[in-house]
Amino acid sequence: MKILTEKNLKTFLKSAEADYNVRVPINLHDGTRALGKIDEGSLAIAGGVIPQKITNVFFPQMETILTIDSEKVELPKPSVKPLLVIGFTAQDADCLEFIDRFYSEDYRDDIYFNKRDGAVIVCVSGRCGNDGEFLKIAGEKCDLELICDGQNYLLAAYTDAGKALAENADGANADDSVIQQLQKESDSLPADDLELIQAASKLLLEEKVPEEFWATISDRCIACTSCNLVCPTCTCFDIFDRKTDSKVQRWRMWDSCQLDGFMREASGHNPMGKENIRTRRRIHHKLAADVTRWGQLTCMLCGRCDDVCPTGIGIKAVCREMVDKYGSA
Amino acid sequence: MKKVLTTCPYCGTGCMFYLVVDDDGTLVGVEPSNEHVVAKGQLCVKGWNAYHFVNHPDRLTQPMIRRNGKMEPASWDEALNLVVSKFKETQAKHGNDSVAFFSSAKTTNEENYLMMKLARAVFKTNNVDHCARLCHSSTVLGLAATFGSGAMTNSISCMEQADCILVTGSNTTEQHPLIGSRIIENVTNNGAKLIVADNRKIRLARLADIHVRWKNGTDVAFLNGIMNVIISEGLEDKEFIKTRTENYEELKKIIADYPPERAAEICGITPKEIVDVARMFAAADKAMIVYSMGITQHTHGVDNVKSCANLAMLTGNIGLPGTGVNPLRGQNNVQGACDMGALNGVFSGYQKVVDPTTREKFEKAWSVENLPAEPGLTITTAIDAAAEGKLKALYIMGENPMMSDPDQNHVREAMEKLEFIVVQDIFPTPTSEYADVILPAASYAEKNGTFTSTERRVQPVRKAIEPVGQSRTDWEILCDVAQRAGYDGMKYNSASEIMDEVATVTPIYGGVSYERIDQVGLQWPCLDKDHPGTPVLHSGKFARGLGMFSPAAYLPSKELPDEQYPFVLSTGRCYFHFHTGTMTRRSQMLDREERFPYVEISIEDAKELGIYDRAWIYVATRRGEVKVMAHVTDVAKKGVLFMPFHFEEGPANLLTINALDPIAKIPEYKVCAAKIRSAE
Amino acid sequence: MCNSVVPKTNAHECDGKLYLPFQCKIESVQELTRTEKLFRLSRKDGKPFGHKPGQFMQVSITGIGEAPISVSSSPTRGDYLELGVRKAGTLTNAMHELKSGDEIGLRGPFGTFFDTESMKGKDLLLISGGCGLAPMRALIQYVEDCRKDFGNVTILYGAKSPADVLYQSELEQWQNSDKLSCQVTVDTVSSGTCWDSNVGLITKLIPPLDINADKTVAVIVGPPIMYKFVTLELYPKGLSDKDIIVSLERYMKCGVGKCGHCTIDHLYCCTDGPVFTLDQVASLKGAI
Repeated sequence: MKILTEKNLKTFLKSAEADYNVRVPINLHDGTRALGKIDEGSLAIAGGVIPQKITNVFFPQMETILTIDSEKVELPKPSVKPLLVIGFTAQDADCLEFIDRFYSEDYRDDIYFNKRDGAVIVCVSGRCGNDGEFLKIAGEKCDLELICDGQNYLLAAYTDAGKALAENADGANADDSVIQQLQKESDSLPADDLELIQAASKLLLEEKVPEEFWATISDRCIACTSCNLVCPTCTCFDIFDRKTDSKVQRWRMWDSCQLDGFMREASGHNPMGKENIRTRRRIHHKLAADVTRWGQLTCMLCGRCDDVCPTGIGIKAVCREMVDKYGSA
Repeated sequence: MKKVLTTCPYCGTGCMFYLVVDDDGTLVGVEPSNEHVVAKGQLCVKGWNAYHFVNHPDRLTQPMIRRNGKMEPASWDEALNLVVSKFKETQAKHGNDSVAFFSSAKTTNEENYLMMKLARAVFKTNNVDHCARLCHSSTVLGLAATFGSGAMTNSISCMEQADCILVTGSNTTEQHPLIGSRIIENVTNNGAKLIVADNRKIRLARLADIHVRWKNGTDVAFLNGIMNVIISEGLEDKEFIKTRTENYEELKKIIADYPPERAAEICGITPKEIVDVARMFAAADKAMIVYSMGITQHTHGVDNVKSCANLAMLTGNIGLPGTGVNPLRGQNNVQGACDMGALNGVFSGYQKVVDPTTREKFEKAWSVENLPAEPGLTITTAIDAAAEGKLKALYIMGENPMMSDPDQNHVREAMEKLEFIVVQDIFPTPTSEYADVILPAASYAEKNGTFTSTERRVQPVRKAIEPVGQSRTDWEILCDVAQRAGYDGMKYNSASEIMDEVATVTPIYGGVSYERIDQVGLQWPCLDKDHPGTPVLHSGKFARGLGMFSPAAYLPSKELPDEQYPFVLSTGRCYFHFHTGTMTRRSQMLDREERFPYVEISIEDAKELGIYDRAWIYVATRRGEVKVMAHVTDVAKKGVLFMPFHFEEGPANLLTINALDPIAKIPEYKVCAAKIRSAE
Repeated sequence: MCNSVVPKTNAHECDGKLYLPFQCKIESVQELTRTEKLFRLSRKDGKPFGHKPGQFMQVSITGIGEAPISVSSSPTRGDYLELGVRKAGTLTNAMHELKSGDEIGLRGPFGTFFDTESMKGKDLLLISGGCGLAPMRALIQYVEDCRKDFGNVTILYGAKSPADVLYQSELEQWQNSDKLSCQVTVDTVSSGTCWDSNVGLITKLIPPLDINADKTVAVIVGPPIMYKFVTLELYPKGLSDKDIIVSLERYMKCGVGKCGHCTIDHLYCCTDGPVFTLDQVASLKGAI
C-alpha cells in the first residue's frame, strides 16, 4: 500500500483527469467545503463529511430527463468520461450502496446510471475528520480509499478500477503496522449513534411511539426541507416541463416529503396533509418502512440533517427524544 | 459546474449561498454557505429554490415599445431614446415634478443609488420612492424620531442571546425563517421566554409562553397597557430613563390613560394577559422586541413603532446585545434601498433634501446645480397624483404596483391616466401590461452588486451567469438613460466603482468597499476604512443623543367591520411566495405548494357558514370582490380573515383600502372590513 | 377474445429508457359529463399496449407534464386503450383541450392489476364511486368478455348527482343485462332533475345484498372516504380483508417506484399497487 503526501495526492488526482471527470473536496470562496474540480479551489480532503448531499454527483438537485427539440426527442447521454469522486466517508459509501440498490431494483433508473456506471468512488478516512475526529475506514465498499495517518494518506485499492488507478500514484510503501494501527482505531470507534437509531427503529416497528409525539417535533419544523435535500439516501424527486419557443425540456428536481404539496392530488386529497404526519414520515421512512421493504435502516448516520436543521430536529436529535421518552417502556 | 457565492434574493435575513451553474450556463441548484455568519450552512425553502426562476422561459429578453396599442420588439437604442425624449418632453410641458421614479427593494444598493441620482441629478425631481413605503416607512420615521436611526437596532445573532423575546406582527418562521429558527432554538435550548402578540396562531405562538390574540389594529392600546403596568408596578429601568432619555413625563401622562382594564377592553383580551406580558417582559435581563408589518401597516403605523420604542426605552432594553427594537425588513434589499436614498425626502444615508448644505454637498459630488429642495411624491401619493392627472410619466424599476399597492382599481385608474410608463423588470407583470416601454433587466444571478440585510449588513451579490437574451443589468440601463439625457456623471466600469462613490457621499457607508465585504459583509454605520461596523446601535448613546419618548394615544383603524362587512380582512405574505409572486410563482416547488389564491378563515366561522377546507369562496370589500380558495385553519381567529397578496388571479389588493398613515404614507393593509360567500 | 389477447408481461416496454413516453394517436374523444371525457388511443407504432384491468398509464403532454391516469378499457376489447379523464389539474385540463387526431405521449402500463386468474369461479361484488368507475369499467368489460370464468357478478356504483354519472349507456346496458346485476345510486338529486334510480350513499346498497362469503371477492374503487365506510358494510356479510380488493389513488409522478410521491409506509402505490388486497394495506397508516 502506497503512502501519499498531499502534494503527491494532488499530482495523482490530476493524472486521473485524463480518464475521469474528477470531483474532489475543495474550499469554495468563503471556505465552505464542497465537491468541485481540482483547480476550482484549494484541496480540502480533510475535514470530515462534505456538508452537501454527496450522492448529488449522481442525482443532482435538478437535471433534464428529456429534451424535445423540433419534434426530435433527445435523452441525456452518459458523459464521455466517467466520474471519479473523492470525499465519501464510510457512512456515505453505505448511503451510495443503498441508493444504487434503490435505483436499480425493479425498474432501473437510466438517468441515474448514466452518471453512476463506471464511476470510481474514493473514500476518505482516518485521522482527518472535523476537529481531529477519526473517520471510520470504509474498506471494500469503495474502489479506492485514502486513509489519513494524521499527515499523509495511505492509498488502499479494493476493486480493479481502483487498483488500476493506484498504480499511477507516486509514493513510498506504507508499513503494515501503520495500517493495522489505523484499522484498530477504526474498529474501536464508539457505536452509540447506531445503538440509538436501532433502538428508535425498534420503537417504531413495534408501534410504541404515540401520535402526539410527532406534533411535539413538527411544531418546531419550519419546513425548510434541508433535511431531505442534504440526505444522501433521500431519492424523491418531482418532474416538471419547461417550454420555450424552440424546445421543451422535461426536468426532475429534488423533492421533499416535508412539504404539504408532496402528496397533494389535483382533487385536493392529501394523504400527508398534516405536519405531524409529514414529520413522522421523515423518520419512520428511514427507520421502519425501509427496514420492512429493503431489510435495512436507510439512515447511515452521516449527520448532515442534524447539522443543517435550523431548529435542531435532525434524525438523531428526534431519535434521542423518542428513545428518552418511550425507550424504557 | 461552477459555484458562485452570493446573497439570497428573497427576505431581508441576508443568507449567503452558492449558486450552482452547469456547463451550459443554466442555474441548476443552490448550496448553503457553511461559513456565513447568518446562514451557518442552513437555508429556508425559498433559499433552496432561489435558483429556479432565473432561467424560466417567461423572462423578458428584449426591449419592447408600444406601437399602435401593441407591444412590439425594439432595439435598446430605440427604447432608451424614446424613454429620454418622452420624459424630457413631459417635463418641458408640465414641469419637473410631472414625472416620477419607482426604485426597487429587489435591486442592488448601487442600482438604487443610481435611480435616486438619475431622478435628482438628471431629471431634477425628488419624486423617487420604492416599496419600503408600503412595508416599513413607519419604522424609518418612527425609530428616527425616537432613537435617531430608523433601522433594526440589533443583530440577528442577538436572537440567541435574549432572555425574553416579544414577537408582534411578525410571522417570523415564515417571513424570516432563519431568524424564526434562532428564536425557536433560544426558546427550546436556553429556555428564553417567548411572548407572541399576534392575532394569528403562527408557529411561534405554539411555542410561546404567552400568546395574546388582540383585535387587529389595537397595538397602541396593548403596548400602552403594558407600559402602564410596568410604571405602576415600578418595573421600569429608572437609571436608563434618567440618563439616556427625554420626555418621560409626557409618556407617563399619556400612559396613565391605559390601565390594563381599559387597554384590555380596547384590545378584546383580558387585563391579566396585559399584566402577565408586562411582568414577563420587564423581569427579563435582556428583553427584545421583534416586529414586522403587523406593526407598520396601519394608519397609525408610526404610533405603533414609537410605542415599541417607548417600551424598549422604558425597560432599558436598548444598546446591548440580546435587546433592542428589531423591525425585520421583508425584502432582500429594502434596507439598502432606503439607505441609498430611494425615498422622496432623503439622499443616501438619510441625508435630508431640505437641508441646503446637504444639497450643496451632492451638487458638488455630482457636478450639477439646483438639486430640488422639496420632498417629492411617495409611491402612494404618486399613484394618487397620477389618478388625479397631475403626474404624467412614471419610470418603474422592479416594482409591481398593480399587485403591491392598495386598492387595485385605484392603481389601474392611475396607470390608465398616465401618459407614459416605463417598466424595467425581469418578468412580465400586471404592471407591465400598462407599459409604453419595457426594458428587460438582468436578474440577481446575472450581475454584481450589494444587498443590505435587515441587520444592516452590506453583502455582495455576484454574477453567476450571463444576462439572459438581450437583458442588461439595471445599473447599466440607468447609466445609459442618464447619458442619453445629456448627463456625464453616471459612467462606471463596474458596480464596485458605484459603491466607491456611495462611500464618499454617505457617512454611514463611509468604510464600505467590495474588498471589505468579500465574504461576510459589514454592518453600518461603518464610518471609514478602519471602522469595524456596528452590530448593535445606540450603545451608550442614541444616534439622536437622548432617546425621545414619543407616546401615542390609541386611534381606531380606518375601516372597521360592521353589519354589512362583518369580517376584518388582514393581508400579508405566505411562506412559499415572495411579494407579488413574480419569482416564486415561477419556481416549481414553491408554486406547487401554494398554487391558488387563498384566504385563511377560522374553523368556527367556516362551520357557521358551511365552508369547507379548499372550497372556493368570494371575499368582498367596499373596493371589490375576488374568488379565492378557503383555508380553514386554527391559525385564523374568529371574525378575522387573512389573505396573501401574491396572486394575480385573486389579488388581495383589489380589496385593501387606500387609507394612509398621515406621516409615513403607509397604507393600512392590516385592517379593512370584508364579507364572504360561497363560490361553489 | 378472453384468453388470447391478455398479455403475460407487465413491464413498461421502454428499452431501459424509463422516462421516455411513446407517441399515441387520439382516435376519439367522448364527453361523459361536464368534467369528464373518455379518450380512445392507439399506439403510433402499432404495438399493443399490453395493459390489464387495474393498471395505469403516465400521460404526457410536452410542455405541460405528466399525470397518472387509470386505464378504463379491457384488453379483451382490442388493441386500443381508453382513458376516462376528469378535469382536475394542469395536465388533465390540457388533455381536455385535445381532439380526435391529436397526438399524446404515454408511458406504461404500470402497476398491479385486478388478478382475474384468482377471481376465477368466484362471485364478484364490484363497488365503485365517482371516477372510480373508470378503472372498474376495465374490469367489468373483462368480466363481460370472459363471463363464464366467474360466478354471480354484482355492480354497485355511486355518483354525487345524476349529472355526475359516468358511462351512462354502459350502466344502462349492465342494468338490463341478464348476466350481471347492476345498481346505481346518487348522493343527491336537485329538484327538477329526472332520476328514477336509487338516491343515497352507496353503502346503503350493500346490506340488502345476498352474499355468499365463502366464494365472494369484493373490489372497491372510489374516492378516499369511500373505502372505510364500504368495508364496514362488507364485514357483517362475512367478508374479510383478504376477500376485499382495493385500488388506491396517489399522485404518482414517475410510475416506476422512484419519485417517492405515492408511498404508503413501505409500499409504493405505483409498483406494489395501485391494486392491493385490503389485508396488505389495512394496518398501514394513511392507506385508507
